[in-house]
Amino acid sequence: MRADRGTAMSETTQRPSESETGDIAGGGSPAGFVDRHRRKRGSLAKREGRAVFIFLGPWFIGLVGITIGPILASLYLSFTRYSLLEPPEWIGLDNFRRMFEDERFYAALQVTVTYVLVSVPLQLALALALAFFLDRGVRGLAIYRSVYYLPSLLGTSVAIAILWRQVFGTEGLLNQVLAMVGIEGEAWVSHPDYALGTLIVLNVWTFGSPMVIFLAGLRQIPTMYYEAAEVDGAGGFTKFWRITIPLLTPIIFFNLVLQLIGAFQTFTQAFVISGGTGGPSDATLFYTLYVYQRGFGSFEMGYASALAWFLLVLIAGFTVVNFWAAKRWVHYGD
Amino acid sequence: MMRCNDARAFGRRAAGCAMVTTLLMVTACGGDSDSAEAGGDVTLRFAWWGNQERAELTQQAIDVFTEENPNIGIEPESVDFDSYFDRLATSVAADDAPDVFTLGGAYPREYGDRGALLDLSTVEEHLSLDNIDEAALSNGFFSGVQYGVPTGVNTYAVVANPEVFEEAGVEMPDDDTWTWDDFVEIAQEISDNTPDDTYGAVDPTGSDALDLYSRQRGESLYTEDGEVGISEETVQDWWDMTSAMSESGATPPASITAELAGQAAPEQTLMGRGLAGMQLDWSNQLNALRSASGAPLELLRAPGETSNEAPGMWLQASQVYAIGANTDHPEEAAQLVDFLVNSVEAAEFTKADRGIPANSEVLEAITPKLDEDTTVQSEFVAEVTPEVGDALIIGPTGSTETPFILERLNDEVLFGRVGTADAASQFVERVAEEIDQG
Repeated sequence: MRADRGTAMSETTQRPSESETGDIAGGGSPAGFVDRHRRKRGSLAKREGRAVFIFLGPWFIGLVGITIGPILASLYLSFTRYSLLEPPEWIGLDNFRRMFEDERFYAALQVTVTYVLVSVPLQLALALALAFFLDRGVRGLAIYRSVYYLPSLLGTSVAIAILWRQVFGTEGLLNQVLAMVGIEGEAWVSHPDYALGTLIVLNVWTFGSPMVIFLAGLRQIPTMYYEAAEVDGAGGFTKFWRITIPLLTPIIFFNLVLQLIGAFQTFTQAFVISGGTGGPSDATLFYTLYVYQRGFGSFEMGYASALAWFLLVLIAGFTVVNFWAAKRWVHYGD
Repeated sequence: MMRCNDARAFGRRAAGCAMVTTLLMVTACGGDSDSAEAGGDVTLRFAWWGNQERAELTQQAIDVFTEENPNIGIEPESVDFDSYFDRLATSVAADDAPDVFTLGGAYPREYGDRGALLDLSTVEEHLSLDNIDEAALSNGFFSGVQYGVPTGVNTYAVVANPEVFEEAGVEMPDDDTWTWDDFVEIAQEISDNTPDDTYGAVDPTGSDALDLYSRQRGESLYTEDGEVGISEETVQDWWDMTSAMSESGATPPASITAELAGQAAPEQTLMGRGLAGMQLDWSNQLNALRSASGAPLELLRAPGETSNEAPGMWLQASQVYAIGANTDHPEEAAQLVDFLVNSVEAAEFTKADRGIPANSEVLEAITPKLDEDTTVQSEFVAEVTPEVGDALIIGPTGSTETPFILERLNDEVLFGRVGTADAASQFVERVAEEIDQG
């Protein structure tokens, strides 16, 4: 770092002397000197500014072409009837009106909100508990951390979803284990009452990434707080409740927001496990799956876009509420 | 404390980014770019759905075609059924449709009415339809335009496993006279006299089965003018019958039926595993089901063909070959389709893989060369041809949703969550809704 700064300094000291000769030739008053100085800084800033844009270019092109462009296109499409095969036709707010009369829209909303509200708190609680446990200085921490993190990497993959289907199928692993202890299992994946449950378990299982973040947060809590608390005679629970949790709230909040948004967008698992149908009888009809079905299954890209925009507003709403509530329970300590 | 500020800033930024990406799902997907055409040669893209076996057979036929037409190259795109239509829709939307592709059921109409298919009369000098079966041709004919050529002829019937019948000590039914009551009774008897994992019949509910059942009552799933044709009463009677079968064990319990719904591969069906006595299915599934089960499966006429108002069975194009409306090479594409449906050379490889050849001359030429399984199929189709009812009324745009609506409600009915009367009225209502939206 220091070496870098050194070279940067020497460059800046060199450059003025070069250009100064040219300026002196043009002659100048003290005021002119100040002017020149400004101009010099200006040209340097300009050059740097150009570099910034060059380096930002690839990202910016991606942002506009792959993110903002399609988002705006979908906003336009949400006001049209667009079958993919024919050009879009403007129909105003019809798609949005239709949404509120669409039973499957409500079904999808219910499934998704249930999933989010159940699986995210469970997942975070498990992640925190394990992080807390690992933070106590377990031998081979790196191994545990990797092992627990693994599901987070695999969780949204097609392979795991297929595996899940096998584990929770009628003749799956879980039922074989249950049979050993004399319990006759259900068809977990294909029963409308349990199908969503298997997906919630799958999401909770991917607790690794919030756990790693919790772990990093825990490691940064200065031990002196605990020591001081111990001197004051605080027990284990008091220390956890009065020191760990408050100091960890920013991390909890961060994980909560990320996991909420992620859970709202769940697609792969539901798609694979239900074979793309959201079945049995719409029990796993995740919102994004419904958007997909409308868009690519029944050629209603316009309606699908409208549905997608509703999800955006919904997630934004949830996030705003989250940030507002955060003022009451997140302690930044500053 | 630094880390807290970091976490907050990062949290906000990350939340923002994640929200922004939410909408990404509606991006258009670009397909493969058109292949290079060297030296004035033409390259056609030919897409179909199906398994490895079909891909090999088709490739052999394509090889003969490219040998005869050295100036035409074919780029095959073999896609599995589950993702075929998603992919096709995307590539058509991106103006990157294959030159020739297969369609089935209500899709030819859906694509044709939306302007995605070539009017075949524009290429008639390269594509002869003279020897093609009339009824089958009608499945590619909509709004006064021939959009598709049938790949072969099929009929919806009952596949039965004589080994399971024998194991249960039940005689094979006389399919000239049997009724739906007989079907239920026989299924029950088989289930009762076989091990627990074997069932008399697979749950028969499907849109084709409903079409058949309603046609026997003088109705049909859709009307000529593209409305819902089936009455709530008929749907309710159907579900009364099938839900009672599931309850009594004649067909599998709801959870097994629901689990099987996502598994289209013949090897994974109960029939393919030798665990079912009867299954309603398309006649061209016989080969795959026979090789999966290893049993000498037979084809039977559907129950109730003679005991009701009218015969419900029909002959249908199992699939059609269609040409993309925006193809750069309509004439060459027509040549390929012509070769596939009208030449004996092609049929020697593809045989009855996409249904019994609809070209009568081709069928005659290859009949002696058919293997046993295909002969059974071809004889069955020939046998029922004089008996079947009118050509099926293909569903209007929007009706491609019907099978999914039916599957959802069927789960509800079999799990006992919705009564049959309620489910029947929901079915009619929702199919009508989808047609209106279509």
